[in-house]
Amino acid sequence: MIELLRRAAEEGPDRAAVVIHEQVVSYGELLARAEGYAAELTSRGLRRFATFDGDAARVIALLAAASACGVELCQFPPAEPESVAELAARFDHTVVLSADPDLDAGDAEVLDHTVWPTVPGAAGAQSSPAADARPHLILTTGTTGAPRGVRHDWSRLVRGVHRVRETPHERWLLAYGLHQFAGLQVLLHVAAARATLVAPAPRTPRAGLRAMRELGVTHASATPTYWRFLLTELAADGAPAPSLRQITLGGEAVPGPLLAQLERTFPDAAISQVYAASEFGSSGSVKDRRAGLSRSVLERGDDADVAMRIVDGELWVRSRVGMLGYHGDPPVEDPDGWRATGDLVELVGDRVEFRGRSSDIINVGGTKVHPLPIEERVSSVPGVAVARVWGRPSALTGNIVAVDVVPAPGADPARVKAAIGEACADLAGAARPRSIRFVDEIPVRGSKIVRRDIPQEGRG
Amino acid sequence: MASPRIAAENVIREFLGRIKKDPASPLDAPLYADGVGLDSLETAELSALLEDEFGSDPFSSADELPQTLAEVLDHYGAAVEAEAV
Repeated sequence: MIELLRRAAEEGPDRAAVVIHEQVVSYGELLARAEGYAAELTSRGLRRFATFDGDAARVIALLAAASACGVELCQFPPAEPESVAELAARFDHTVVLSADPDLDAGDAEVLDHTVWPTVPGAAGAQSSPAADARPHLILTTGTTGAPRGVRHDWSRLVRGVHRVRETPHERWLLAYGLHQFAGLQVLLHVAAARATLVAPAPRTPRAGLRAMRELGVTHASATPTYWRFLLTELAADGAPAPSLRQITLGGEAVPGPLLAQLERTFPDAAISQVYAASEFGSSGSVKDRRAGLSRSVLERGDDADVAMRIVDGELWVRSRVGMLGYHGDPPVEDPDGWRATGDLVELVGDRVEFRGRSSDIINVGGTKVHPLPIEERVSSVPGVAVARVWGRPSALTGNIVAVDVVPAPGADPARVKAAIGEACADLAGAARPRSIRFVDEIPVRGSKIVRRDIPQEGRG
Repeated sequence: MASPRIAAENVIREFLGRIKKDPASPLDAPLYADGVGLDSLETAELSALLEDEFGSDPFSSADELPQTLAEVLDHYGAAVEAEAV
């Protein structure tokens, strides 16, 4: 990571690295900050720490500094201060870096890294020692339970950046957090391309749309859920769509109707789908604008960084760019070995189509129901802005298929409800939605839809 | 404003019409099999609907499942005739 910054800063120290609203941080400034942080981490003898900081430029500098020194960094979700103490305890952190001296970090010590000195004119310098191991800890989003700490090494994380071409004119939206694996992937791509990262705060689709319009975003990578909400914002404000050149989707299964809608809305943009996860890294991208993966992904040779196969309807991956194990667990015996992804798939013609997460399966009276195909149908119904299909507990059948719908502006709920019923009428009885509710918002975590039951929101 | 019992009866009869059952089924008709003919999924759907509308439903909260429409409605209040006795 630090090497990417050093090269970018050497070639163009004044080039914009990060844009946060009116604030522009150049590659030279970013590197100076990173080298300063690296010197401070070394002098303090820190071996691992967490950070709670929402400032993208500072976090990038910390990431680069930690990678340079071989210090394990873990970024806590910057929007959840109430979770810091619990996360610090859960992941055995004794030091948390934060700009907020009053942050409640439990037993962990809070250090203010914003006052640490920078090292101006660091471009081209090698002030920090090269480390043998460069650990990094990424927290999962916790959409299916408590977050887990995924242990990585920077040598594996940066393995794919040599394929990135230099495209310094690109301005990439940071729609993910840098605490997420996908956010790191965007950052690494931008740094390798010597491009510019546009990091609005908060990281909402509304703020993202504004950044696209006002800060000249040309490329954007986000989850399907994020794109659905962004399209809803776009429809609501009625202003022209920003002129994007690249749209990337990942983190969730990508429904065909969403791809078609993005194609209509952003006709000049190339559209890619990325299949990646914190655990096994990125498997590359698909650019044919069709839902799912090409069947050819199952035929990659032994030399591929990421190989795939299907076992009992579940996608398995062998990855040389994946994790080393989970924090607190014994190291994975063979980090490059095969492991289940939790993604349920089906071979349909020349495609590997996604049916949902194994943890999202709804058990309706003993029948297993996949929520994604239903969600795709419901999302295609006129008047539906966003939909979530989930298993609602039932005293009679264990669960029933429930649908939460955010209606499009001006939609008539009664008509939309009837249309959803018609759209799902040919489904098997267990898969037919038995509860349809209109809601103001859909619960999301890490820009992904949460499908497990949420008691406070799952009723009424 | 209709009493909870009358409101519940309206919701149930509208539901029966929507799922192609007899919305005019008598109150003492059995809910299942040869009566109104609700299957388990339709009963679960009715249970969720009533919970959404009224905050609770007799299928989830009672020890025994209601067997007739009248028993469902009893969850929301006694019949007017009973109150008059």
